[in-house]
Parts: sequence; structure tokens; C-alpha cells
Amino acid sequence: MIPKKGMIKVSDAFERIVHWCLAISCIVLMISGLGMMFHAFNFLAIPVGGLKNLKLIHNFTGLIFIPSLLFAILVWWKEAGVLDLPDDFEWIKCAGGYLWHVENPPETGKYNVGQKAFFLAVAGFGIIMIISGLIMWFPLSLPTGLVRWMYSLHALGFFVIFPFFFVHLYLGTIGVPGSAPAVFTGYVTRSWCNKQCPKWLRKMEETGKLEVYGEEKAVSEH
Amino acid sequence: MTEKVKLYDLSKCTGCRACQLACKQWNQLPAKQTHNMGTYQNPSDLQPNTWNLIRFQEVSDGNGGVKWMFRHDACMHCTDAACVRVCPSGALSHTKYGTVAFDQAKCIGCKECISACPFEVPRYDPEKDKIAKCDMCFSRIDNGLEPACVKACPTGALRFGDKDEMLKLAYKRAKELGGDASVYGDKFVGGTHMIYVLPEKASVYDRLPENPRVPLSIIAWKDWLKPLSLLAAGGVLAGSLFHYIIHGPKDTGGDDDQASQEGGK
Repeated sequence: MIPKKGMIKVSDAFERIVHWCLAISCIVLMISGLGMMFHAFNFLAIPVGGLKNLKLIHNFTGLIFIPSLLFAILVWWKEAGVLDLPDDFEWIKCAGGYLWHVENPPETGKYNVGQKAFFLAVAGFGIIMIISGLIMWFPLSLPTGLVRWMYSLHALGFFVIFPFFFVHLYLGTIGVPGSAPAVFTGYVTRSWCNKQCPKWLRKMEETGKLEVYGEEKAVSEH
Repeated sequence: MTEKVKLYDLSKCTGCRACQLACKQWNQLPAKQTHNMGTYQNPSDLQPNTWNLIRFQEVSDGNGGVKWMFRHDACMHCTDAACVRVCPSGALSHTKYGTVAFDQAKCIGCKECISACPFEVPRYDPEKDKIAKCDMCFSRIDNGLEPACVKACPTGALRFGDKDEMLKLAYKRAKELGGDASVYGDKFVGGTHMIYVLPEKASVYDRLPENPRVPLSIIAWKDWLKPLSLLAAGGVLAGSLFHYIIHGPKDTGGDDDQASQEGGK
């Protein structure tokens, strides 16, 4: 996946590193968590030599997840954490054209409402997962009545995060072709940008901040 | 297989602690240094190496006198056991006798059973990173013997036998005792497999829950959220597939763009 001339930079190296730290820790946490949550998935512990090791992997991957999530919130909350009304409301009304045919779906900025919802769900429930998870790791020093609800919260977190994760995976790959390079090389095609984030593209062009592969950076203007 | 019940009649207990000692002997749980808490109760609580314990308690009888009470505290072996519900590894499981067995080799030390148990029975052993609790001497009862504590009891306060028979005995004894006497254990968590005959109201006894039940938080977790999350996960997998084959992927290409050829890959 080498970028071609004319492709547009949508993510910098730091964003991509944060993305993959969060993604990989999240996937490891979900698989190892599933192995402990359901007896039917206990077999997931076989490759690592038993449930006790799976528990250790889960707990220590959690420690990687914590800074990954905090950096993710820092990096994306401005672009993905704030609704852009009233345009975003229009997007919600037609689901952005993702579920049924919509002639002209409302134009979006860097992230559409679906992506914002994904960010907010992961940020919010990710923090819930961190707090409940840490309490579950060290439950004996806290009141039992409190600890008991942490297990429910942790399960609720999986209930919310997994569907969002999978939809993100689907739409980031085969669902919206051309998206995946954004998290590998950082460059996507101009036509992809025109469909996915036209408002952002225009703004970047107007302010001269757009970085195009194979072209001189236009930043010297300011 | 008929369910087995350990019947404990508090009115016959003399607090001799033979049960406590016999348990340590059979299960090879040597004592450790304890501390004096000003009563005969020793150690002060259930421990990973103390699976049953006589709780000593002094209660005013209302006439200036004092009642000295003893309670044999150990795993209640619930039919609807919260610990078995939460145990991720199957270390805690129901036996054919209705008791709750514990396989220490399978325990991963997650401590979820400690939080779940309404009777505060399982105890964590930091040295082994595992929990421990009474298993009603499964090795003995599976070979037709009674649990070690029952075997050692010199007064007949502890009895062991078929559930129906023990319950009949319990109700007969409670009737004999009269007053506030009651049978404790058969009416909650699906019925416990240790049954008490309490001479006093349950609320009188230290650390004895009046209405023990599987905590709502545990039911919300295991009975609601677990199936719901499977449903959600399965739904979104199927949903994505249907979305792809019915609605189809989004067209993000453009004819005016050379680089767009790359986009479809």
C-alpha cells in the first residue's frame, strides 16, 4: 500500500500509532475476556496454557489499554467527540445514507455522527472498563456491594463496545472501500475524501493545510 | 442420586470445636499463628486454611443474664450457588449430592466467588493465588462416609444424611424447641445443603444473613448481560454481512481521480 501521487493525508504517524495500540490491546482484551466470560469459550485459553495465564494476559493488556485510550481521547475528542449541529442532526435523520438509499446525504467534516458515536462509546465505556476492571483486579479492599456491580458494568462495557468495534472494522475495510489506508499509510484518495469528509477537505484546502502526496506542502503561506 | 444435607442443631452444640479440628486434620490444613480477640473464637474468622469455624457470641437474655451461643460456620452449599454462577473456570461446581465442590487446580484466583457469595464463605489464599472453602468432604461423602466435622461431633449437633430425612429431623427438632426456634436454609437460594436448627431468631446470630439470596448484581451480570452481549455480538456480525450483500459497500470512487483505482483494493 504505497501512497500514490495526489492522495491526501488524513492521519499523522502519532494518530496511527495510538490507533493500533488501542486496536490491538482492545482485540486481545476482548478475546481473553470472552475466554473467561463464557465456559463455552474456555478453549481460547488453551494456546496460552490455561485460564490463569489468560487472566494475566487480560489484566496486563489492560495496562496497555489504559494509556492507549487516554491518548486516543486526547487525540480525537475535538474532531470526533463534539457534535456539529444542526448538520449532524440531518445526518442522524437519514443515518448518513448507510442503511437505506439517500440521494444526497448531508456533508460531514472529518468524522460523521456514526464515527463520533463510536468514539464516544469507546471513550465512555472504555473508562468504565478501566475503572471496573481495576476494581475487579483488586476486589478485596473494597466494599463487596460495590465490587459486585463492577462485574455487571464490565459486562455492559463489552455489550456496548463489541458491536461498535465490529461495525468500525467492517466500515473501515470492505464496507467503505479505500478507508483502511488511513490507518496504515495515512493517505487516502481525493475521491474518498470527497465522499467521506467533504467539509473537512474544503476547510483544509481553504486554509492551505492540506497535505497531498507528491506535492510541496502548502503550509508556508501562513 | 439423592441429595445429601449436613444438619446442624445449634441447641446441641457445646462449642468444643471438634468439627473445626477434624476439618483441619482431614483436609490437611495446619493452623497458623492467630491473635486473641478476647473470646474463645479462634481464629477470628474463616480463613483459607480454616474451612469451618465455631463462632462464639454472647447475647443478653433480657433478664440481666447472658446467653452464650455457638455457631458452626462453613459453606452452606447452596442449590442456586452464586459462586458457581460466577466461577469462570469451573473450579466451583455442583456435585450429584447437591453440594458445591471446589477443584483448587482449576482455580485462577479471580476472587469473583468471594464477591458473589451471600454468606462470605470463600477465602483468598495469597500464597497460592487461589481461593479455598469447605467442599463438604467430597472425598469422604463420595465413598459413603460422613464429612469429617460430622464424624467428630460428640454431641450429635452435626448430622449427615439424605435431604428429606434431615429436613424432617430439623422441623421435628425446631418444633420440640418451640419459641423462636426455626429451620434455616431450606427456603432460600434454592435450598442449602447445610441446614441449621436455630433456637433463636436468625437476626440474633452474628454474621448470619436473614434473607440470603443471589445478589441482583450477579443476576444482572450472568443472566441478563451475558446472553444480551452474545445476542448483540451475533446480531452485529450477521447485520454486517446482510448490510454488505443487500445494501452493498459505499461507493467512494470517482472518475476524475486517478488514485481512486487504489481505493477499491
